[in-house]
Amino acid sequence: MTDERSTENHVPNTSSGWSDVTIQVVVMLSLLAMMIVTTSFVDPNFLTPGSLRSVLRDTAIWSLFALGQAVVIIAGGIDLSVGSMICFLGVVATMLLNSPAVNSLMLMLFSVIALAAAVGAIHGILVCFARLQPFLVTLCSLLIFRGLARVITNDKTVSYSSEHELFEFLGSGAWLGIPIPVFILIAALCPLAIFMHWTVPGRYLYAIGFNVDAARFSGVRVNLLRTVSYVLCAIMTALAAMLEASHVVSVTPSNAGLAYEMYGITGAVLGGCALRGGRGSLLGVVIGMAILRVIKSAVIFLGINTYWTFTVTGMVLLTAVLIDSLVRHQRRQS
Amino acid sequence: MMNTLSPSRVSLQAIGKSFPGVRALDNVTVEVAAGQIVAIVGENGAGKSTLLKILGGIHQPDQGHVFIDGKPADLLSVRRSMDLGISLIHQELNLADNLSIAENIFLGKQPYRGSRFLPFTNRSMMDRDSSRLMDLVGLKLSPQTLVGSLSVGQCQLVEVAKALSQSARVLIFDEPTSSLSGAESGRLMEQIKQLRNQGTGILYVSHRLNEVCQLADKVVVLRDGQHVGTLVGDDISEKQMISLMVGRDIKQHYHRSGHEIDRQQPALAVQQLRYRAAASPISFSVGRGEIVGFAGLVGAGRTELARVLFGIDPILGGQIQIDGRPVRYRTPVGAVEAGMAMVPEDRKAHGLVLPMPLCRNISLTVLSRLGSWPWYNRLAETQLARCLANELTIRAASLQQTTGLLSGGNQQKVVLAKWLASKPRVFVLDEPTRGVDVGAKSEIYRLIFELSAKGVGIMMISSEMEEIIGISDRVIVMHEGSIQGELTGDQINEEAVMSLAIGAAA
Repeated sequence: MTDERSTENHVPNTSSGWSDVTIQVVVMLSLLAMMIVTTSFVDPNFLTPGSLRSVLRDTAIWSLFALGQAVVIIAGGIDLSVGSMICFLGVVATMLLNSPAVNSLMLMLFSVIALAAAVGAIHGILVCFARLQPFLVTLCSLLIFRGLARVITNDKTVSYSSEHELFEFLGSGAWLGIPIPVFILIAALCPLAIFMHWTVPGRYLYAIGFNVDAARFSGVRVNLLRTVSYVLCAIMTALAAMLEASHVVSVTPSNAGLAYEMYGITGAVLGGCALRGGRGSLLGVVIGMAILRVIKSAVIFLGINTYWTFTVTGMVLLTAVLIDSLVRHQRRQS
Repeated sequence: MMNTLSPSRVSLQAIGKSFPGVRALDNVTVEVAAGQIVAIVGENGAGKSTLLKILGGIHQPDQGHVFIDGKPADLLSVRRSMDLGISLIHQELNLADNLSIAENIFLGKQPYRGSRFLPFTNRSMMDRDSSRLMDLVGLKLSPQTLVGSLSVGQCQLVEVAKALSQSARVLIFDEPTSSLSGAESGRLMEQIKQLRNQGTGILYVSHRLNEVCQLADKVVVLRDGQHVGTLVGDDISEKQMISLMVGRDIKQHYHRSGHEIDRQQPALAVQQLRYRAAASPISFSVGRGEIVGFAGLVGAGRTELARVLFGIDPILGGQIQIDGRPVRYRTPVGAVEAGMAMVPEDRKAHGLVLPMPLCRNISLTVLSRLGSWPWYNRLAETQLARCLANELTIRAASLQQTTGLLSGGNQQKVVLAKWLASKPRVFVLDEPTRGVDVGAKSEIYRLIFELSAKGVGIMMISSEMEEIIGISDRVIVMHEGSIQGELTGDQINEEAVMSLAIGAAA
């Protein structure tokens, strides 16, 4: 088949049409636009600055950990510990702020990020060197860190004192009317996207996600890079955890960040990541998270009982995956 | 023979089968009578598996007829072939480790009590029937034993019992002893003789010619899909079989320019290398510009050696030198840095990232060298890929084409291209032309010659006799995890390679 289409001894460098991921991003973007238009048509209050700001802020915070999740998924893994880590790191950040020993915000930020990176490295080492299933390793972390958060707080809600204005500004403030987390998201997304799309390790992560054996047989440092993916995910989770803690002020260890790992996975899949690995776009993940957040608002503005939120989210994800699978099948046939 | 007068259990008459580009079987006739063991022998690729697959209902023949008990039969599906009493025991076992022997024997057809809609397993009946079948095959264990706890040989016997439970009247064994120890093989062969004496027709495929001599009442020899001879009774000898199997002129399409081979300064020198699959420490060397062919039967331990040399499986001891310098590594990363390249046996699983564009596959080994870390230069990547794609005449719609959509030959060229990019000193090729069409084959040979002319040491594992003899400057033959012998120059011929491969002394 392919042989007949060839030109004599010359292979052109053109891609044939749009990639599957690009198509999915475009589809998701139109879905998002459709949802925004419908919701604001039913209730124009959806478009008030306050409501929009809240949507933007949550999308930004959620996108941070979803991007981390996406990096792990692209490299062929999964991280279920995200929700518990959001809670645990939020609790640690708040307690560090309150402790008299740590009076500098920078010191707190770096300690929390370092702690997260260490946990990510342990995930990577257990997956790559102890050869445990990523699902299992991070499931254990999900349990361990939720438990630890409750232990170190005696299961009491912790909140930081109002004197930490700068910290509060990070999560709740705005500049030019745009919530600060949006700027932090952009500051994190740009280097991460450059890393994934323009650097050698980024390219290798995609290759590992598709076929870890072929990557290993090509002399790629597979174990190191997979560990890096877990560390990146943990660091992104730490950023989200601190912004979340900053914004909600008080962290309740029993339910802060509950099911966030599922949000992250949902967003990543909506954004075109294949759970088998190797496929996905970071911009798509942000759009995916925006869809999730808009669903949450839409349910309220459309006057539906909020208990429906999860059901609607699940249905949207299912529909998206179904359409994607059908489209991909069609393209393969043609 | 005593059974020659009884009608054939199975009779294949003038069977022909073609696959795109290959005549897999041509006018092959095989008859198996009740109470007879018929062996089929031939080199890799002679058409044995195709013949078995036709009997098993997996492939349908293009020409010829199949008769069962004298009546014409269409083996249209696996189910149909089973219903007609033909049972194929595959080289790879198909048992569920987590179930008991009895449950495995009756998998999918467990006897039950109660209604069809609420069936309860009839354990006592299942165990009783299993015991009877296990007695027949000489398996002295409780039917409740978990299959996971059995040895490979015992599993083979469970497979036989399972086949008998389907009231098999013809049993087909495909390399049943390839993974068995000597003693286990002996026991299995005793049981096969028992089954013959009870009147079962048996078709036996094996590379182990000494077993065939002991066992077979009749031997059918295949070569390149042709039925080249039948040996009966006292005519059955290893020597006869080998001469029938290989008696063929080597086509002279392997041309290479004469060039210097520097054996004094080996590209690769391996001394007393020990690893898990090695029966004894392995020592050999590959000179600069030399092509060393590694011959042997499937399972002789050649791929295992290649994996160890490439840092995938651990080295337990010994020394490796590349270009005279001792090297140490524990990962493929280290092997590549030391100057190794490997074209793996399983191209799809290990050689290529199939969903990625071919351009990215070609650059996978050298991406970090294209630009300054951590950046890579897209332009340099495209240029490299285009250059290599042209050099190897890779036929694709574009450099961005998904690698998985290319033909087998072009995929293999992409694997070669990515290693050419890394400029190796030692090239390990594991079955470099497997599943590759004739055109791509000769281009791959040309490439191997060019590499050797540049002074690269080449270690080529191949199960194709013609390739081994046509390409190699020297042939090393492996047998059961160790090096059985080495042939150079005029010593290289099919008989010599084959007799070393089946374990005869040099």
